[in-house]
Amino acid sequence: MRNRVREQRRQRGLSQAELADALGVSRQTVISIESGRYMPSLPLAFTIARFFDLTVDKMFDPDDEEAGA
Amino acid sequence: MMTFIPPRLRKPAVYAVAGLSFAAAWLVHGGHLWFVSIMAVIGTAAAVVRLYRLGGTDTDEGARAGSRADERQQLVSLRSRALACNLAAVTSFIGLTVAIAVGGAWGWPFLVTFLITGYGYLLGVGNYGVAEEGTPDDADTGRQTRPPVRS
Repeated sequence: MRNRVREQRRQRGLSQAELADALGVSRQTVISIESGRYMPSLPLAFTIARFFDLTVDKMFDPDDEEAGA
Repeated sequence: MMTFIPPRLRKPAVYAVAGLSFAAAWLVHGGHLWFVSIMAVIGTAAAVVRLYRLGGTDTDEGARAGSRADERQQLVSLRSRALACNLAAVTSFIGLTVAIAVGGAWGWPFLVTFLITGYGYLLGVGNYGVAEEGTPDDADTGRQTRPPVRS
């Protein structure tokens, strides 16, 4: 599943550590989500989407099997 | 009780209690192996300090050691424990089977371990796997849900 976390984070000029702090998760988890190795839970997916003012389906694309680049 | 202990101290505290219990057991055992209790105390102290220091690092292991794991780190921990229990069940079953085959009287710990892991699994399914059966959404409208398999 592709996601736009890295793209959105970079657009806002945030580091992975800053995003992790804002979401209440570890930096390693942000890295795992960005690389597509970890699929977040539904509550965390909503938290991420709301943080970037996007909907969950805009943030995470289930039709794209390719990991987020 | 654990909530009163700062997160970073929780795992080290558990290690300390376990290690000191082990040391006390050797002390009570007495005999010429009493010095094992001293070694256990030293080993426990080293492990507790190492765990506390690890809990302050910015790594997955550090987050688990410091009891501040997020959902992904907790999932990794959960899967690892599940794997450990699977291995314990399989190993105890093999041990029990071998003990029966050779007629060894030493097989009962394998039986106990196997029964505990099996009971633990059933307990888990009972506690976490119970969902409300409920009724189909349209049961009260007179419509029937389609069976999953057509006969």
